[in-house]
Amino acid sequence: MNVKAIRARRNLWRRILSDKRALLSLAYLLGLTALAVLAPLVAPYSPIEQDYSQVLVPPGPEHWLGTDDVGRDILSRLIYGAPASVFGSLFAVAVAVAIGLPVGLFAGYVGGRIDDLVGRVIDTLLSFPAIVLAIGVTGALGINLVNAMFAIGLVFSPILARLVRAQTLVVKNEQYVEAARCAGAGHTRLLCKHVLPNIIHPVIVQITLLLAAALLAEASLSFLGLGVQPPAASWGGMLARAYNYMEISPWQIYPPGLAILSAALAFNALGESLRILLDPTSDRR
Amino acid sequence: MHNQPLIEVKDASVLFPVQGSREPVRAVDGVSFAVQPRETFGIIGESGSGKSTLGRVIVCLQKPTGGTLLHAGQDPYELGSAQLRRHRRDYQMVFQDPNASLNPRMPVGASVREPLDIEGAMSRSERDARVVALMERVGLHPELAYRYPHELSGGQKQRANIARALSCRPKAIVCDEAVAALDVSIQADVLNLLAELQEEFGLTYVFVSHDLGVVSHISDNVAVMYLGKFMELGPAETLMKTPLHPYTQALLSAEPVPLPRSMRTKQRVILEGEIPSPLNPPSGCRFRTRCPLATERCAAEVPAWERHGPDHWVACHYAGAADVANPAPRAAAAVGAQP
Amino acid sequence: MNAVRIRAIGSRVLQIVPTLLLATFLVFGLMQLVAGDPALLYAGENPTPERIEQVRQQFGLDRPFLVQYASWVGNAFMGDLSVSMMSSEPVLDAILRTLPHTLLIVGVSLCLSVLIGVPLGVMAATRARTPLDTTIMGFSSIGIAVPNFWLAMLLITAFSLNRQWFPATGAVLFSDDPVSALYHTLLPSMALAASGTAEIARQTRSALSEVLASQYVRTLRAKGLSTFRIIYLHGLKNIGVTLLTVMGLLVNRLLGATVVIEAVFAIPGIGSLVVQGAVAKDFPVVQGVVLAMVILVLLINLVIDILYTIIDPRTLRQ
Repeated sequence: MNVKAIRARRNLWRRILSDKRALLSLAYLLGLTALAVLAPLVAPYSPIEQDYSQVLVPPGPEHWLGTDDVGRDILSRLIYGAPASVFGSLFAVAVAVAIGLPVGLFAGYVGGRIDDLVGRVIDTLLSFPAIVLAIGVTGALGINLVNAMFAIGLVFSPILARLVRAQTLVVKNEQYVEAARCAGAGHTRLLCKHVLPNIIHPVIVQITLLLAAALLAEASLSFLGLGVQPPAASWGGMLARAYNYMEISPWQIYPPGLAILSAALAFNALGESLRILLDPTSDRR
Repeated sequence: MHNQPLIEVKDASVLFPVQGSREPVRAVDGVSFAVQPRETFGIIGESGSGKSTLGRVIVCLQKPTGGTLLHAGQDPYELGSAQLRRHRRDYQMVFQDPNASLNPRMPVGASVREPLDIEGAMSRSERDARVVALMERVGLHPELAYRYPHELSGGQKQRANIARALSCRPKAIVCDEAVAALDVSIQADVLNLLAELQEEFGLTYVFVSHDLGVVSHISDNVAVMYLGKFMELGPAETLMKTPLHPYTQALLSAEPVPLPRSMRTKQRVILEGEIPSPLNPPSGCRFRTRCPLATERCAAEVPAWERHGPDHWVACHYAGAADVANPAPRAAAAVGAQP
Repeated sequence: MNAVRIRAIGSRVLQIVPTLLLATFLVFGLMQLVAGDPALLYAGENPTPERIEQVRQQFGLDRPFLVQYASWVGNAFMGDLSVSMMSSEPVLDAILRTLPHTLLIVGVSLCLSVLIGVPLGVMAATRARTPLDTTIMGFSSIGIAVPNFWLAMLLITAFSLNRQWFPATGAVLFSDDPVSALYHTLLPSMALAASGTAEIARQTRSALSEVLASQYVRTLRAKGLSTFRIIYLHGLKNIGVTLLTVMGLLVNRLLGATVVIEAVFAIPGIGSLVVQGAVAKDFPVVQGVVLAMVILVLLINLVIDILYTIIDPRTLRQ
């Protein structure tokens, strides 16, 4: 029975791979992740080693993207900035899922007044400006990347909780859930085997879109000095430094900005493609 | 005369609270009946009659707000929750919509196997073997076990549902409009299958439907339900030949008769009006707003649930007084029927 | 305005009270939860246990949670949001001083988003699936993904450094000099408006496409109405609700995004205030700003909710 079930799942992968937009964005993101993991091997120079003889050098054969105001190679810093953005976003979204998914499942499944209350809290939390709240939380926790990403995840969790709750409310009344209950299934089994698999597709789309938002948030916080702390490399931090020298070395603002833009674009594009591919109304495996 | 009934319902009612109204909706309002082992009990009603809710009460998917449910003399709600989950396996349901009752993300075989997985009594290979045997018995190629529900036809899905209901060797199966969503040609096949299975496994059926033809064919006893209450209950043959309640008579008259019009003795009775909203049922007898025989008494007094023969019960002030489908008065009163 | 309308508006205004209460409770609770022991924050560098205890009593931090909350809300209602630890300036004053700058940027940005986004969306919807549509949607995708502070830097490079058309930093209060204020606001608002424009263009296109394909519009076309009339008179009215919803969400997002923009353009707005407060661990400031922003968003959403009832009679039935 397992072999044939696997075959059905492969069909889904085939559809994903045949969508150009999904394929391109997925390839880009995988490449970015590989870069993040292999940074020490790929980067030509150290990202923090300062060389005052090579300050603000424009792009050239020795330094492909030039150097910054204390002589650090921009390309290397760009590469070393990838882990912060990639893993930071993943961590933030993981936090959002770890909080939002159970809350949404519980509220939607239990229903009644508890669900009403949780729904109200979620809606109220969603009206808080995200970044401001994240800044506040980071300030209180202590300023570093992990805390900042945790704050972002915390602030994003109501978004996920609302989606999961809405989906659960619909699915829990489906006839196959009733049929399983009739066969004697307990709550755990109903939630894990019947509700969760049938709400997971829109959740995956939302997670992908949240990854884009988390990436931009990390860049913003690092730019403000509330995320990755210098001298460690981060794309937002690089932009902050480049800002100070915009007049004399304008090229510095392009590499980190384009890096952030392309990564966010890739996540968004993947999310949009997945939304269409995983749409249950056109679900034909 | 009878053994202990397998299913017994005593004055059961199911009330649903309504938003913005103090009055709850009385989906099931004081229903009593008993089903013997190996019997087929039919429940007929229009949509909104509460028959599906009643079916769900029988398999413990819906707890009655009032009254009692007894399974072989035992009130299932007196059992602990773990015991109840085990007990439920004996009372299964085949749902109406074959598309919706199978988890779209699970292979069909896994769905059929699920009751066995929950029971946890057999090893994995034994369970798979039982699934194969069940699927073959209901007329499905075992290969289909690997497919997903959207790859099967409606008839095949419904057979899978039946296989699933059978997997734990239940004592009783409630079929809630089990064939309503199928093509007519398939309906006959599935009904025949159900009849065979009943013989083979000694099953008790409760057949809920709006289709009088289907129900009268296969049931031993039939109950006619309207707006949450039983109007008439009796052996299928008796109800078909000598229905005493005007509603039953009207329903029967609507059945297609294979005779040219000139030879037909009964007139088609078209019931006036719409079925009233369950939120606001008529006072007295619920059927009075559409009943050709209604009088002031019907509005003032709820008709009692009275016996009109061995195993024949009616709730009507004028039970058997006239046949609304047959304008001429009855020549002889029906056995035991007294106005 | 008839009685039904007034009652609908009245009920919405009343409904906001419990939401406001819940919001203040959440702000207070969240901040307390995250800050751990605020006494440590207030006590300064390397506090001794006696000092901590002293601080705790001074600020009433030894009282039960709900009492602290009640007194905090009560004070806030009176206008007392405590005092900044850094500058000893009353927090409320700081907020009132900085808020106008932020509101100006957000306001202009919102206007830009609508004024540019809606026509773009209309164009894309009426010429669906043409290269123009694809281009507009492509720009929209970029607009959503672009980091707004980077866009700000690009704008500064293009228009301040290379061409000196607009100032790169500073802000002027609208009440002091409107023209100069707007002049200073233009670049920051443009940077901030990118994602809003993109979002509005997208939503307009999708909502309008749906309307244009509907039977209702097909009937209008059969009657011979020109495309112009159909779009602007019938189409836009129908998507008015969608637009309002998006704008409500946008305000929330813009208030957050303004934080970074203010840093780039050195604008003394409320975003800069909260960043400085967070860096300095100035707890009262951070708490006060978050509260102010939350109240602001809730009030704006209330206004939008009321506008719903005016635009779409269907919502009155709620």
